[in-house]
Amino acid sequence: MEFSEHIKTANVEDVVLRQPLHPPSRGTLCITGHHLLFSDREETGTRQFLLLLKNIDAIEKRMSGSSGTITIKCKDLRVLQLDIPGMEQCLNIAHSIETLSCLDCASEMYPFFHRPSDLSLQDQWGLSSTEKLYSQMKELHDRWRVSTVNRDYSVCPSYPPAVIVPKNIDDSMLKKVAKFRQGGRFPVLCYYHRKNGMVIMRSSQPLPGANRKRCKEDEDLLQAVLDGSDKGYIIDTRSSQQATQARMTGGGFESKSSYSCWKRLHRQMEKGKALQESLIKLVEACGDESNNMDRWLSKLENSKWLFYVQTALSTAGLLAECVERDGHSVLVHGSEGKDSTLLISTLAQLIMDPHCRSLEGFLALLEREWVQAGHPFMQRCAHSAFSHARLQQESPVFLLLLDCVWQLWRQFPLALGFSEALLLRLATEAYASDFGTFLCNSHQERWALGVMERTHCLFKALLRPRERDYYSNPLYEPTELAIWPSVHPQSLQLWRGFFLRWTQQSRHLEEAQEEIRNMVIEWGKLALS
Amino acid sequence: MASPVSVYNSNALDTRISSTSRESLKMELLSDVSLLPGEERIIDKDVMYMCPYNAAVKGKVLITNFRLYFKSSDADVAVMLDVPLGAISRVEKMGGASSRGENSYGLDITCKDMRNLRFALKQEGHSRRDLFDLLFRHAFPLSHGLPLFAYVTQEKYEENGWSVYKPIEEFRRQGLPNNKWRITFINKNYELCDTYPTVLAVPFKSKEEDLRRVAAFRSRARIPVLSWIHRENQAVIVRCSQPLVGMSGKRNKDDERYLDLIREANDTTKLTIYDARPNVNAVANKATGGGYEGDEYQNAELIFLDIQNIHVMRESLKKLKDIVYPNVEESHWLSSLESTHWLEHIKLVLSGAIQVADKVSSGNSVVVHCSDGWDRTAQLTSLSMLMLDSHYRTLRGFQVLIEKEWISFGHKFASRIGHGDKNHADQDRSPIFVQFIDCVWQMTKQFPTAFEFNERLLLTILDHLYSCRFGTFLYNCESARDQHELRLKTVSLWSLVNSKMENYLNPFYTPESGRVLYPVASMRHLELWVTYYIRWNPRMRQQQQSPVEQRYKELLALRDEYLKKLEELQLSDSSPSPRHANSPGPNTSPSPSSPPSQQYTHLHTPL
Repeated sequence: MEFSEHIKTANVEDVVLRQPLHPPSRGTLCITGHHLLFSDREETGTRQFLLLLKNIDAIEKRMSGSSGTITIKCKDLRVLQLDIPGMEQCLNIAHSIETLSCLDCASEMYPFFHRPSDLSLQDQWGLSSTEKLYSQMKELHDRWRVSTVNRDYSVCPSYPPAVIVPKNIDDSMLKKVAKFRQGGRFPVLCYYHRKNGMVIMRSSQPLPGANRKRCKEDEDLLQAVLDGSDKGYIIDTRSSQQATQARMTGGGFESKSSYSCWKRLHRQMEKGKALQESLIKLVEACGDESNNMDRWLSKLENSKWLFYVQTALSTAGLLAECVERDGHSVLVHGSEGKDSTLLISTLAQLIMDPHCRSLEGFLALLEREWVQAGHPFMQRCAHSAFSHARLQQESPVFLLLLDCVWQLWRQFPLALGFSEALLLRLATEAYASDFGTFLCNSHQERWALGVMERTHCLFKALLRPRERDYYSNPLYEPTELAIWPSVHPQSLQLWRGFFLRWTQQSRHLEEAQEEIRNMVIEWGKLALS
Repeated sequence: MASPVSVYNSNALDTRISSTSRESLKMELLSDVSLLPGEERIIDKDVMYMCPYNAAVKGKVLITNFRLYFKSSDADVAVMLDVPLGAISRVEKMGGASSRGENSYGLDITCKDMRNLRFALKQEGHSRRDLFDLLFRHAFPLSHGLPLFAYVTQEKYEENGWSVYKPIEEFRRQGLPNNKWRITFINKNYELCDTYPTVLAVPFKSKEEDLRRVAAFRSRARIPVLSWIHRENQAVIVRCSQPLVGMSGKRNKDDERYLDLIREANDTTKLTIYDARPNVNAVANKATGGGYEGDEYQNAELIFLDIQNIHVMRESLKKLKDIVYPNVEESHWLSSLESTHWLEHIKLVLSGAIQVADKVSSGNSVVVHCSDGWDRTAQLTSLSMLMLDSHYRTLRGFQVLIEKEWISFGHKFASRIGHGDKNHADQDRSPIFVQFIDCVWQMTKQFPTAFEFNERLLLTILDHLYSCRFGTFLYNCESARDQHELRLKTVSLWSLVNSKMENYLNPFYTPESGRVLYPVASMRHLELWVTYYIRWNPRMRQQQQSPVEQRYKELLALRDEYLKKLEELQLSDSSPSPRHANSPGPNTSPSPSSPPSQQYTHLHTPL
């Protein structure tokens, strides 16, 4: 397909761009297959503004006389306005933006065209792999093995080719277990707690259905996880009522009678539509500056966003408690096991494992637990808070994760090796990116499109020296201790850096943080010299 | 000599004692309390502390002439309380000799600092009588003819905090007197105005008899006087009380001419008068002889700032306490918080101060008043000065600001706090100063590198607002302080602070002398000061508080090291570096994530 067929007007002169934190400027607007480019010619020199069309969530056009105004609402919550002379030009531009920002063919997206000079496609893609992780963790080798039963993605289309499973469960058993789990997501190891040898497993829901089918291999697998210890926990991210209802549609839960050593804990976590609607409400409240007495706090509460943050952190806390304090292994799942399951397994690892809290460790964690584990980024992040399109699979689960990590970061200012700027960057990249990392919905899809060969890896790019400096926490002081977050509502704050990002005040704070970072680096250098 | 008791700990309630120190508990109870010089034991007794977060805790309470101290006797539930008696607002008996139920007989203590304490005693033999009587006597010494502890203490410090603020020096720093403004000693015996300081700055052209005539037309003779002058544009902040217009709409030519002199001083075309009150309240004040400046004040515009009075603020904080102590109203936290209106009041005070600062930095002189000019007026002038003048954002400058705008200009600390007074329901009490400190905290949150002091200073100030250990916040005005020889007989809080400055410094402070700080006063950018208002809740203990403080101290040391080396480099390098000694490292590259077009400059006002 040619992008040009969607571009009837490529250049318009004399356009006025209004964007937050900047005075309006007049210049030339240019639409390309992937970008909106604006250059103004002020006396002080040319300034350019570049926006990925993919970042655009919704546009509104308003005509008056012979000119028009296009309001652009971005997925990073920025709102821009273009005043365009000439009705036809304005309509053409609006049409191009509408069409090109919604192209859903991954292989035509910008990451396949992005070629920065300081990165090479020959570099190894990504930071970690199942095999690498396994080979580094000698403690695992007695009882666990790497299985490549999924090497052609036929057992579980959303899993990576290699996963870690109990040693005495062979591939043929795994295939049977996969048939008993939704989407083939059989239980795999995602975290090994060095201090006591306990593990976190994750999967999707079992499929006992209305007539309470059993699967011996599934039961054996979980028994093998326990390895003689008296019990394990299953944290189900649905209420017990929801889990029971799921039987009607073929799903269900691990019953006491079949899994006698496993104790189920139900913690209802919203996902999907409820979460997306919460985001929409929150962003609406943040953007509404119309009235001073606007009952902001009530609106914030009504959006329920902070309640979801609280639920996620407290469920993750529960998971970490089971492993770290109670000394038991835990299996986590909801229904599909691609959303809240990943959310709490990630947070629990941050709470317990100091390795995950360094900049590299955190990125590797995201790569393992989100990208490789098959969080469907493309579906979940197709639209953000402004889109009028009918909701389908959109859900800001990854954004919720970043918010929860920010809360941890705020409560433990020394314990995490990365800065708020990293979280903001990731929140933007998940929705629109120059890099291939968040493309597609699964490892299989990325493999089919050659993402690993034909695009660059965001995580690698974030570890280039300049970026590494910028995204590091200057106050970082690694601690071996678990960091238990406080989850009381009064301990949680709105992530202003993200939700109010395009305000003067957030800009001040970003600058202050940068100033502090530079300061600390400078002191360190001179003190060492 | 620094005091033997760490101030910061002295108010930490319910401090869970780490297992390492449990051994010491087995020793004689209470033997480890280090009393301040001059502090004396009054009574001790076995009691049950009815901790709202644990079950009842058995232990011993010690009352001295300064504090209430409790320590659990059971090493497994290590609970410690250390409360200055000054923080107590009310002591009541709970239950009677015939009350049934366990632990229903005892004392119920309400504190001024957002907490309550309950102790249960044995019912036999009126066991609480002596404890109650003695506590009541010593918690409210002024109601019993006893001195406040500040007059008893024998503490000595290296620094003398009373020398922090010298009015003439502060005026000189501002460039006064000059050809438009003069210093007058007309009030040296407090004859013009008994709630004003002795040294005042007034328009150069005003005569002493003008001042007397103006005084007759201003509530409590609090005439318009200069608080601050902008070095560049000569615009001023003037403070006063309301004019005595009354129902009949009285006029006073002298007052009108006097305000016009203020306007003239820097050729402002229009003088802006900020009346801190809501319009309706200002109108209502006419009934009691007060009012506001009407159209007869030519060349002046009047703007109401809608800030509520002391009673509304008191009730608002009371509501806040209801939802945070002892347990936090969690199920509808945000809407409950909203219903207290506390943050909304903070917003109105801040946005009023922003308007004042903005007016002045654009070259227009302003007059600020409310009714008497000692509550809302003090909030507005001091906050706008904090925004305009970076000197007040230093550790010592902030002390000067408080000494000047609050203490010397007669914010009625004694009445608003009720030091040593048993009358807990006194309608004069109000948390106006707490609200001011909260506003300062909001600003430090929004500008993390703009203040030389840290949050601990703000907490320390609020702790000693109540403690009565220092003379700083005692009495209503300077005349009363002189009369009671406060500066001779008591120690200043700033003695404590300035003898241990490193505890109160912000390592990331970057002086920017010309910068005007405009905080955002939108509800979206304000937050509840949880580390103050909810600090007694053990669940809310700031995470990793001590490692963070430790790390900040290390950073301070690192910064000093850096500055020292920088100085050495500059000395060896005979050409002096243009860089200010305290400035941060050179700005490295802009953020990689933001496009090059996104540049933003600070709001600078050359001073």
